[in-house]
Amino acid sequence: MRHRVQVLLLVLCGLGLLHVSLFSDLYLRYVKAGLRPALIASGALLLVLGLLAATLDGRAVAHEPAYDGTEGDHEHGRDHDHDRDRVGDHGHGGHHDHSTTPRIAWLLFLPALSLLLYAPPALGAYTAARANEKAVKQQSRFDRLPATSPLPITLTDFTQRVQQDRERSIEGRSLRMTGFVTPARQGGGWYLTRIIFNCCAADSQSIRIRMYGGPALPHDTWVSVTGTWHPQGTLGTKSAAPALDVSATRRISPPVNAYTDSLPLTPS
Amino acid sequence: MHQTDEPLGAAHTAVLPAGPGGASRTRAPRRRILVIGLGAAVGWGFTSAAAELARSGWLGAPAFGAWRTVCLAITVQALPFLLLGTALSGAINAFVPASVFSRALPSRPALAVPVAGAAGVVLPGCECASVPVANSLIRRGVTPAAAFAFLLSAPAINPVVLTATAVAFPGSPAMVAARLLASLVTAVVMGWLWLWLGREEWLRPAARHTGHHPGHSRWNEFRRGFQHDFLHAGGYLVLGAAAAATFNVTVPRSVLDTFSGSPWLSVLFLAGLAIVLAVCSEADAFVAASLAGFSPTARLAFLVVGPMVDLKLIALQAGTFGRAFALRFSTATVVVAIACSVLIGGALL
Repeated sequence: MRHRVQVLLLVLCGLGLLHVSLFSDLYLRYVKAGLRPALIASGALLLVLGLLAATLDGRAVAHEPAYDGTEGDHEHGRDHDHDRDRVGDHGHGGHHDHSTTPRIAWLLFLPALSLLLYAPPALGAYTAARANEKAVKQQSRFDRLPATSPLPITLTDFTQRVQQDRERSIEGRSLRMTGFVTPARQGGGWYLTRIIFNCCAADSQSIRIRMYGGPALPHDTWVSVTGTWHPQGTLGTKSAAPALDVSATRRISPPVNAYTDSLPLTPS
Repeated sequence: MHQTDEPLGAAHTAVLPAGPGGASRTRAPRRRILVIGLGAAVGWGFTSAAAELARSGWLGAPAFGAWRTVCLAITVQALPFLLLGTALSGAINAFVPASVFSRALPSRPALAVPVAGAAGVVLPGCECASVPVANSLIRRGVTPAAAFAFLLSAPAINPVVLTATAVAFPGSPAMVAARLLASLVTAVVMGWLWLWLGREEWLRPAARHTGHHPGHSRWNEFRRGFQHDFLHAGGYLVLGAAAAATFNVTVPRSVLDTFSGSPWLSVLFLAGLAIVLAVCSEADAFVAASLAGFSPTARLAFLVVGPMVDLKLIALQAGTFGRAFALRFSTATVVVAIACSVLIGGALL
């Protein structure tokens, strides 16, 4: 790989990382929020590295025509044989073995350009249909629910209260939840879904609430749903289904960080 | 999948006699233009095909979108750790004299292995950081067996990962202890196994980490080494991420249920799942916790194998140490890790 291509690659990788972490919130589609400082630092480091390589090694190139002449040719893929040939060569020349980089590095252009120009969307219904169901924690004591109506509640909290709260505090309450639409395989209907991960999008898990009623919506639509618990099984035990009888749905714009199970902030 | 630079290089030597001959000088610019042109065409074709797929919502499109997201997520998540590892490796190369390691480690390799394995505690991060660091340790004269023990133990037993495990398995500290113990034992056994059976010629001979040279600026050496290692390992990271994303997106989780019943199959299955999913070692405990149908021993196997062997690590190791090494070493590691998980899981969980 030629010197100028290496510089370009370093600069593009740096800019790509800075673009998604410093200048926008796009990184939240791929990794957790806590990684932001590390991403900004990495982007800045790569950018500086590329600029240093351009200025410092650029002069060496100008002084030494062989640098991107013959050397550029047999460096491709022959990195290691080449390194062995040149071990004794260190004394002279403004550069040494690090100028050779194998072709595999070209692959880095894909994520760099992807981050800069065409960042893929957050995971949606396709993944939710295949992801693990998130394990819901066992909880023995529940706080009293506020009197607000409809009551904003997270999908996790709803599932826990339906299956574990012996006080049956959500019985008859009007509840509001947000998530995106995924189709149900059996019996029509749909699920209100959230995808949650701990580190990056590769370890995603889903949490789903079965919805009864409401209009048919295309999958991946973000909605705010109001409704009451769908009576099925015994409330407060494992037999109760995490399901909702929908009284109203409203389309909302996707949240910036789609991978959290946070409370709906939509005003009533 | 494990496409590396060798075949390409061989093709080049056939076309172009190596050496600064006059013929190669004149043909070089044309060939270079051809290569750049081809690269641009492939890149453009890929981008437009991707855009086309995204526009026309045919059946494959959501799968392809998810693949791109997961592939990019693995890459973006790993890049800071890869940079950390590369920076450490570059710093070891340029600033730390070889005598430091010969004094810190016992001179007998059989004793150096457990010490290096336990030293894995100090590298906080996930597995991508440990490959370049282990490589630079070997270049600085550390016996390969000890460097490999460090390579295997560092991503699994550092405080960040153990804390995440404790958070993911509330109320079962035995899981944390079993993970620490099984990972450490696997790493040490693999180090000893390398002393017993390993051969130097499996390792790719690379002369680029040759330490500090008198007369060169240390900072400049550090910067160049850093740049080289990053570009090299980064390419392999993308390759590994693409392979892992393919499995991640195409394997439906419903196949999990078919394996969770049998105790033996479930251990093997979760070990295999850890290899193809390539979940970062800081997050794999949460994935293991969600695999509720499986026995604790099977989940332990997932936690022990994952940080030591997965698709992106195999790609990184193949790039750093050579393919001959990566395949043998990964296979042996999987066998040892499963055996340790079953023994220690059976005793503790």
